[in-house]
Amino acid sequence: MSNQSDNKYQVQPWRLLLVYGVIAFVVLTIIARLVSLQIFSGQEWLDQAVENYVAEVSVPAQRGIIYDRNGYILARNIASYNVIITPAGLPDDEGDIQRIYREVSELTGVPAGGPVTDESLENAKLFSACVPGPSIADMVALGDSIAPFVPVKISCNIGEELARIVRERSVDWPGVSLEIEPVRDYPTGSLTANVVGFLGPISAAFQTAYEARGFVANRDKIGYAGVETSMDDILLGKNGLRVIQEDVAGEELRNLKPPVPPTPGYNVTLTIDTRLQKVAEASLIDEINFWNTRLEASRVISSGVVIAMNPKTGEILAMVSYPTYENNRFARFIPGYYYEQLAQDPRHPLVNNAISAELAPGSTFKLSTATGAMNEGVIRVGQIVETPGRLLLCERFRPTDPCTERNSRPFVDWIYERNGVINEAGFGSLDFFRCIAYSSNVCFYKLGGGFEGEIEEGLGIFRLGEYARALGYGARSGIQLPGEEDGLVPSPQWKRINTGENWSTGDTYIASVGQGYVLGTPLQVLMSGAMIANRGKLMQPTVIREVQDGEGHVVPLWFDPETFYIYEQRTTTDSEGRERVVWVDVADETKIFPLPPAGSYQISPFTPNMKWDATVEPIINEWSCEAGYCDLTGNTKTILPSTIEAVRTGTRMSVTEDPLGTLHQVFTEFYPIPIAVAGKTGTAEYCDDIARVADKCRFGRWPTHAWTLSYAPFDDPEIIVLAFAYNGGEGGSVAAPIVARVMQAYFELKAIDLAQGD
Amino acid sequence: MLRNISWRYFDFWLLGAVVLATAFGTTMIRSAVAGNEVLLPLINRQIYFALAGLVLIFIVAAIDYRYWMALYRPMYIVILLFLVTLTGFGQTAFGAQRWFQVGVLFLQPTEFAKIVAILVLARYFQATQNQPRDLRWLIGAVVWASGIIGLILLQPNLSNVVVLSVILGALLWFNGMEVKHVIMIGAVGTISFIAVVGLTAAGIRIPFLQEYQQDRIANFILPEEDATFGATYNVQQALIAIGSGGVTGQGYGHGTQTQLRFLKVRHTDFIFSAISEEFGFVGAMLVIVIILLVIWRCVRAAQKARDVAGMNIAYGVAILIFFQGMVNIGVNLNIVPVSGLPLPFISYGGSGLTSLMLGIGLVESVAMRFRQLEF
Repeated sequence: MSNQSDNKYQVQPWRLLLVYGVIAFVVLTIIARLVSLQIFSGQEWLDQAVENYVAEVSVPAQRGIIYDRNGYILARNIASYNVIITPAGLPDDEGDIQRIYREVSELTGVPAGGPVTDESLENAKLFSACVPGPSIADMVALGDSIAPFVPVKISCNIGEELARIVRERSVDWPGVSLEIEPVRDYPTGSLTANVVGFLGPISAAFQTAYEARGFVANRDKIGYAGVETSMDDILLGKNGLRVIQEDVAGEELRNLKPPVPPTPGYNVTLTIDTRLQKVAEASLIDEINFWNTRLEASRVISSGVVIAMNPKTGEILAMVSYPTYENNRFARFIPGYYYEQLAQDPRHPLVNNAISAELAPGSTFKLSTATGAMNEGVIRVGQIVETPGRLLLCERFRPTDPCTERNSRPFVDWIYERNGVINEAGFGSLDFFRCIAYSSNVCFYKLGGGFEGEIEEGLGIFRLGEYARALGYGARSGIQLPGEEDGLVPSPQWKRINTGENWSTGDTYIASVGQGYVLGTPLQVLMSGAMIANRGKLMQPTVIREVQDGEGHVVPLWFDPETFYIYEQRTTTDSEGRERVVWVDVADETKIFPLPPAGSYQISPFTPNMKWDATVEPIINEWSCEAGYCDLTGNTKTILPSTIEAVRTGTRMSVTEDPLGTLHQVFTEFYPIPIAVAGKTGTAEYCDDIARVADKCRFGRWPTHAWTLSYAPFDDPEIIVLAFAYNGGEGGSVAAPIVARVMQAYFELKAIDLAQGD
Repeated sequence: MLRNISWRYFDFWLLGAVVLATAFGTTMIRSAVAGNEVLLPLINRQIYFALAGLVLIFIVAAIDYRYWMALYRPMYIVILLFLVTLTGFGQTAFGAQRWFQVGVLFLQPTEFAKIVAILVLARYFQATQNQPRDLRWLIGAVVWASGIIGLILLQPNLSNVVVLSVILGALLWFNGMEVKHVIMIGAVGTISFIAVVGLTAAGIRIPFLQEYQQDRIANFILPEEDATFGATYNVQQALIAIGSGGVTGQGYGHGTQTQLRFLKVRHTDFIFSAISEEFGFVGAMLVIVIILLVIWRCVRAAQKARDVAGMNIAYGVAILIFFQGMVNIGVNLNIVPVSGLPLPFISYGGSGLTSLMLGIGLVESVAMRFRQLEF
């Protein structure tokens, strides 16, 4: 075979050389690229590889539970069951998959779905999880295309019985399982909704802030109202974190770091007594219904407030704002139609009127006028004031204005015209105590604005303002509830800025009886009564009794009502081994303070916080007035204990004075209580949008709000109750029975608790 | 014809390099398909193909390559028939018809067509070795090649059209093609390439190019910034795999890109990335060195071949291996557009491996029949 060696042709060396050159060039290019990728930028690519497979999984923390003062649960987490399908877990056989879809569909009612098409997938994309619409096949196909190991929610919030069936049958359904999702549950529902509040999703505005704290938008929920909002930072707890390795399909392979377990939120105990809350709500609704069935349509009572508090400690035992909302309906998500219905209701059921409604306090404001007039010596104990049925007083915008027929108008007492009978004599003449007990407007006009020949210099608007603020008006109380308003203690300066008019003498007269520009929240009215009841000591109103961590230890906490920040007191050891007590912002643990931050007060363990004791602290600024022009002298003073005792006596006599004491009938005849009760009623004329539409904003036709506050026992008060009924008419007849029933219930419950050795 | 076979000139270096590359490839395929039950049988299939391929090398080496030369006409006609049938009956995958299903085997005639093309061209250059290298000679070679190239273009399989064109061009070059003709064809080629790129960039469809092929060219030349999860995903993941390998690699079976399946088609087109990730720069260089070793032994066989046909067979196989290997690595390194060419001897693929073994068998056959300088 070798004889055919006939290769005449040889490749020219230069041709080979050129090819070698090309080969060398290509190989060197590849090697250069490899060196650049693997040796010079290897670390960067490695980082990208790590980024590919590392995933951080947030483990949700359990939200804290909210209890009432007796340990009754007001907010808890319950299981809600969802049927889920993990696409990657389904069997390989298409027939098996279809069988599973069919059987799941039969149980849950979700359509199994026909063949998956591009169109049906596009349609399924439009629905968010848990919203009925797409078929099982479409939902699973969609999930499979995105992340096959992430479960797809097929049917949400199924009943417990159905959940048990699904769990049992899921043995035969690979890929199908039951997901247990915690959902907030409020056993007392609407009864405590205004205090407890509700939850909602983390909104886009706060998303970054909450994500920085480890929370997950669209999964974790935050407080939207009530204590759920104000105590959110401690109720939330801390989410756990797992750093895992996952493959391209999202299947979790292993933990890369030791997992950080979640820290459950703290449990919060409120000062609310659910039993008393129930009584308060029932009494209010009963009374409203009672009157609404008897009065003409224009006098319908639409809303009301009841608050019960311990004046010695500031603990709110009951806080009802009616109408309200059912917070359980917000448990899974906030239904648009329900929210819209609540938001458009003119009675504002979403608003806690106990702290957010600014109203004319009416005669309950006379406590401020009375305290001021007595403390400033405008009237003495034993001094008699002439109180005819009406006074003709002139409206002067400047002290030099003359008093003529044209600028004079009658200021009437409530007793002047009753059931069409004119009573020109009115109460005749009254001493200081009876001015309060009978709630004589004429008396308080004179005390507030002065009356020529009898009380030469009245208290005046400046000094009245000082005492109103000392009783709690004109500023937020600082209670741990969002949405609190500050009311209004008017001054001549305020009026000039806001209405462009000078302060007139008439303004002072009506301010003296809590009308005109004076506004207060129901809580402020309650505080004014509590301050008098507690002999000058105004306690910080609180709804928080105690906060415990997950193991039941009471956590020392401080609360800043301005910012709603919560600070936890902790003991840390510094670098030299010394123990140090510090206050840590629970929302941002890098913020550490050596002392409780200014403005904050302790909320746990329970400590009564005193805002001020007006008989000790000189909180009253002295004013000197000359010819109607007033100025601060720079001096301050206290309220004399004797002043407060005189006002207290007046409030007691409103119960004891037979028959004219404004609270006499209700506490002796209708709801007799064997305990010394004292109090003050109020009937506040008002004019708002609704009244204006009804053409009621005219002299003699004004609609009125009903107010009543009462405290007991008189010598050592431990309960003060306030009731307010919008458009309720007379305080003594509409609001007082509510107060009396709550008061009765309080003492009955106290007796029951004592009998049980509580 | 099997008598007097002397195994003295059988190139055991070449065989060794091929066995090494195939063993390394099979090992890497095992790592790449780990955890994927569907792909697990591929390991054994590749081993069977490799063993069959080794046997094939010895059989083909034993037969004098000049017998194949004599059979060039029937071979040419059979392969053309296969290619014609393919456009009608082949399995459609990714838009192109590329294989026949014969029992459990998927046969890709295109792979064998490359070997046939080398044989046919070798025969042509042998027959025309004394002719002047004029345009007639040039066109003759192009005509023989374009029968196969044309049918592959109709599939359409652009990558293999390029492979065959390069083989044709290189063999023309080795056989003395004149520089003026090179310049002429080069100019035509450059203009048409610019035209293709220009039309693609302008978004105009070109006949004979599938849409996905045009998209790949467009993606390579004008990468879209937001296409991370689209067309550039595979290449990006390949770069991450290669880069994260570093100098010595993540270790066999420990490359996260490969094992957690971020790297796609990691047992075929992107096996170089898997090797680079798990064995690092050292492993990548080893692959390149083995392939260069195979090429060097083929070139050596070509230079010592007893006739023009033998030389052309050995050069053709060398060019086939070199071009496919470097394009595949270039794709992995993102310096060449995604082409779908396998890494010779290492990527999974029965037909590809068998046809390459066939080629090596032919080269061995050439090597065993060197010019008889010694007696």
